[in-house]
Amino acid sequence: MKSKDINYNQDYKYGFTTDIENIKAPKGLSEETIKFISKIKKEPKWMLDWRLKAYNRLKVSKEPNWQKPKFPKIDYQDLYYYSAPKSMQDKPKSLDEVDPKLIETYNKLGIPLNEQKKLSGVAVDAVFDSVSVATTFKDELTKKGIIFCPISEAIQKHPDLVRKYLGSVIPINDHYFATLNSAVFTDGSFVYVPPNTKCPMELSTYFRINASETGQFERTLIIADKGSYVSYLEGCTAPMRDENQLHAANVELVALDDAEIKYSTVQNWYPGDKEGVGGIYNFVTKRGACRGKNSKISWTQVETGSAITWKYPSCILQGDNSVGEFYSIAITNNHQKADTGTKMIHLGKNTKSKIISKGISAGKADNTYRGLVDIGRKAINSRNFTQCDSLLMGNTCGAHTVPYIKNKNSSSTIEHEATTSKINEDQLFYCNQRGLSQEEAVSLIVNGFCKEVLQQLPMEFAVEAQKLVGISLEGSVG
Amino acid sequence: MLEIKNLKASINNKDILKGLNISIKPGELHAIMGPNGSGKSTLANVLSGKEGYKISGELLYQGKNLEEISIDERAQQGIFLAFQYPTEIPGVNTSNFLRTSLNKVRKSQGKEELDALKFIKMIKDKSKELGIDEKMLSRQLNVGFSGGEKKKNEILQMKILDPNLIILDETDSGLDIDALKIVADGVNSSRNDKKSFLVITHYQRLLNYINPDHVHILSDGKIVKSGTMKLAEDLERTGYKGIN
Amino acid sequence: MLNFKIDSSEIDKVGNFNKQEKDFRLKNLENFNKNGFPNKRNEDWKFSDLREIVSKNFKKLNFHSTNNTEQKIDLIKEFEHNFIVLTNGELTSSNFSYEDKDKIKIQKYSNYPLSEKTELNPLISLNHAMANKGFILEVEENYKFNKILVIYSLYTDKLNENIINCKNKIKIGKNSELHTLEYLINNSKANFFNNIYENIVLDDSAKFKNICIQKNKSSGYFHKYSNNKLGTNSNYSSFVFPAGLKFNKLDLEFDLTGKNSECKLLAASYLSQKDHQEIKTRINHFASDCKSFQKVKNVLDSESKGVFQGKIFVKDIAQKTDAYQLSKAILLNDSSEFNSKPELEIYADNVKCSHGSSSGSIDKNSVFYLMSRGLSKKESVNLLIDGFLSEITNEIKNQKIKTFIINRLRIQLDGHKKH
Repeated sequence: MKSKDINYNQDYKYGFTTDIENIKAPKGLSEETIKFISKIKKEPKWMLDWRLKAYNRLKVSKEPNWQKPKFPKIDYQDLYYYSAPKSMQDKPKSLDEVDPKLIETYNKLGIPLNEQKKLSGVAVDAVFDSVSVATTFKDELTKKGIIFCPISEAIQKHPDLVRKYLGSVIPINDHYFATLNSAVFTDGSFVYVPPNTKCPMELSTYFRINASETGQFERTLIIADKGSYVSYLEGCTAPMRDENQLHAANVELVALDDAEIKYSTVQNWYPGDKEGVGGIYNFVTKRGACRGKNSKISWTQVETGSAITWKYPSCILQGDNSVGEFYSIAITNNHQKADTGTKMIHLGKNTKSKIISKGISAGKADNTYRGLVDIGRKAINSRNFTQCDSLLMGNTCGAHTVPYIKNKNSSSTIEHEATTSKINEDQLFYCNQRGLSQEEAVSLIVNGFCKEVLQQLPMEFAVEAQKLVGISLEGSVG
Repeated sequence: MLEIKNLKASINNKDILKGLNISIKPGELHAIMGPNGSGKSTLANVLSGKEGYKISGELLYQGKNLEEISIDERAQQGIFLAFQYPTEIPGVNTSNFLRTSLNKVRKSQGKEELDALKFIKMIKDKSKELGIDEKMLSRQLNVGFSGGEKKKNEILQMKILDPNLIILDETDSGLDIDALKIVADGVNSSRNDKKSFLVITHYQRLLNYINPDHVHILSDGKIVKSGTMKLAEDLERTGYKGIN
Repeated sequence: MLNFKIDSSEIDKVGNFNKQEKDFRLKNLENFNKNGFPNKRNEDWKFSDLREIVSKNFKKLNFHSTNNTEQKIDLIKEFEHNFIVLTNGELTSSNFSYEDKDKIKIQKYSNYPLSEKTELNPLISLNHAMANKGFILEVEENYKFNKILVIYSLYTDKLNENIINCKNKIKIGKNSELHTLEYLINNSKANFFNNIYENIVLDDSAKFKNICIQKNKSSGYFHKYSNNKLGTNSNYSSFVFPAGLKFNKLDLEFDLTGKNSECKLLAASYLSQKDHQEIKTRINHFASDCKSFQKVKNVLDSESKGVFQGKIFVKDIAQKTDAYQLSKAILLNDSSEFNSKPELEIYADNVKCSHGSSSGSIDKNSVFYLMSRGLSKKESVNLLIDGFLSEITNEIKNQKIKTFIINRLRIQLDGHKKH
């Protein structure tokens, strides 16, 4: 029985480059670079001091080396830490003043920024290399008292909020990449939802790396005040280049009493080519603090891109009755490597956490789930449930599960389950018998395998994510 | 419609079919009966193209040699297998699956693909016709279905995909009398002079409702006896041991 | 004791060695001295900081061996058995009256193959450097033991802040079968450290079953590294009931090197007071069609701490692997603690691998149910613990041995309960 040939040449569809004149910081990491960034962002002195404090810390800290994916040494002096389109230097007052080339870039990525065409029900902050290009629906949100703006703008306009919360979840000295980000972060989004307010639309940031030899260091801070709710989504793409580019973001979430934050990521950075050349190093620190009672933070991620992904969106469950959730799909193909998972730190009473992780590995890729569940002595009546499933396609790839489970409390329960298997041949046969090709069958079954996670995504993005799951695995069976 | 000549099949060096001959014309319904281990399910699997078997002999479907055709293409060309144990596929919505499947079949036959609205109308009609609760369609494919529900779902799929050659692999086993009637009604209402059926079963039960044109007895990988409905009736009385 | 170092002259005190072996020992001693007792910065010791434990509980560690004259021991009466006696690790007597003695070779620890490897575990280096006791048991081809072999492991009251390093080896020939019971009897009142290196080799189609249990509570601090190699079609089951030590770390490595081999590890412990116990496993699936099964159950009372670190490794050629691992723990007290790290590292696709780990309180509904049938709370809890652990004991097929084990466990449980 001959199976059909499969098209191996699915190109990364976001691999184009926008040809635009840039302003860059001097190459390399130095106090000058940091001062340059701070100056061009017109930052107050406290912000510069904060950055320099991080820089001093960075000088004495070391890159971590315990994670599974190993990577060649990064020459931090051979990178640009700031790159922005020249036209963005004098902040355009409205979209009409924004360089049409930038608008066109986002159109091509499927993120129209124009008033007429903008996505309904989703407010977008578009970040291009080191600056925010535009933010849509700003006025509608302002009416409700919701602040949604680039963080560089928040530093100027809302310094009290920024000073209070920035670095309160991820301290300056947390670990090497978090410290690096604290020193050189360029842009990212800031969200503040006032008490008892339900954000009426999805908030979304779209990150685009364009310039070469440039690292992207975004910083996002989301604060949900008492009794509020916000759903936030980030998406990311980058051009195809044969060099590795560094993306080291920090994301901090703070949920006060009875507040809920839902944070979703569809990560599709350039993964490198089939031989493993190029691609983004995605070293991201994401952490949320359920600071108030009855608060909730829910992370959902669909990780299909990047040469190396290394991130553990975590929840610190401080408030009594707080809830943390982590839903993850990580797909690795060709030479991609992903080491991802979460940490659930239970400190408050009656805290609950849930972890659902689906890893799919194909080609020569390596996929690791690494996670920590830690229930402290005082976190009485707490609960965790973890389910990690891995699918392997072929025997040149690897799937690993490394959970750390700590229970210091006899009234608390931790349950962890994990499985590793290949795609069930009976399922493939059944789908084939109903007329689906091998690739369609794989995509369908894998999507089914990931269902529990996909369901967590806002409607607008779930469809896109489903397609991405199929595309990412193309060429992996035959 | 289907011409099988001297079909031999083995799996893991174990011979299962040992020279099987059968010929089914358009419009005919053939029943194959046989004891456990006689090769019934292997025949169904081989016809639909399941991998892992070593095959020799001739397999002609609508005059074409099937050997070179993959499982999905056979399905697209109108071969339908109702599984003995329909596979559970978690996370996949039954109705979405059916629509994908139907559009694949339609596309390969040069028909236009159905949009969501037309499709929903179609499955509503068909499930009503069969007396199947359409709530089943919003669940995950075969997951947590009872044995009867799984079989009914197979019959519904058969109805919707409108195939030419239908193989029912012990679709009747494990069914209560009501479910059995749904299966039989589904078969009877689909019968016409263009469609052919190959019904694989242990018992005469289902055959009473669907009236086969030919009945064959499969034993140790070969057809050992062919006849009419009377053969099935004899078999029910004497058991497989009495036939020779 | 935080910076415990051993002088190279200590090697000469434990025995006379030829140059080659002396060099090997010196190299390993150097490695141990460089690292010291492992602390929690070492990933494998993340949950058991041995450096802290040793420095808290020992003022010194003495390598001088006491004179291990044969001691009188009470033999198990419940079932007929062969036996060997180890006194403070040293082989002091053996009795194979039920067997064909031509088929069995038993001897004291002697020269061991010297490996070039620099060990990651400093305690293995320590053992390589200082070992001077132990036994080697070899079973010829095509021989099936008639009766079980009991290994009486006796620790005498002469021990006082001693450290014992022993090496034990069991080799089972092709098609042969052995069943052992390791029985630890502890008469030492003072603290001592026992560091064992064990090597078990199963040739093709060999079968080995081992049960390990303590007679009484002990002030011993134990570390055992066990390397087990399984040939084609071989079968190994290991039962451990490792309770009652101050500190106990079992580091068990199973190499499934032959096709169709199978290993099974079953453990049940009741930990109380300040017991600290870690079971660490690594199952290496190096060949296809192999099976591994692990079930580890812990009940933790008072201030005890339990750890399970289990890893299943599947090499790319080890297709059709069937690997399963389950760790379950019940915490009875708010001062008790259970940590686990169940790991999968898989490079072959046609496999069935899964693990589960759970920890939590005793099921309140079950307690309620039993109490509504007239049992006291304590009786209910005890009954549930019995049930929880019996899942492991039930796997023992021989009825007499099973009864013996269950009775030992009951004594442990009741003994602890009085405190």
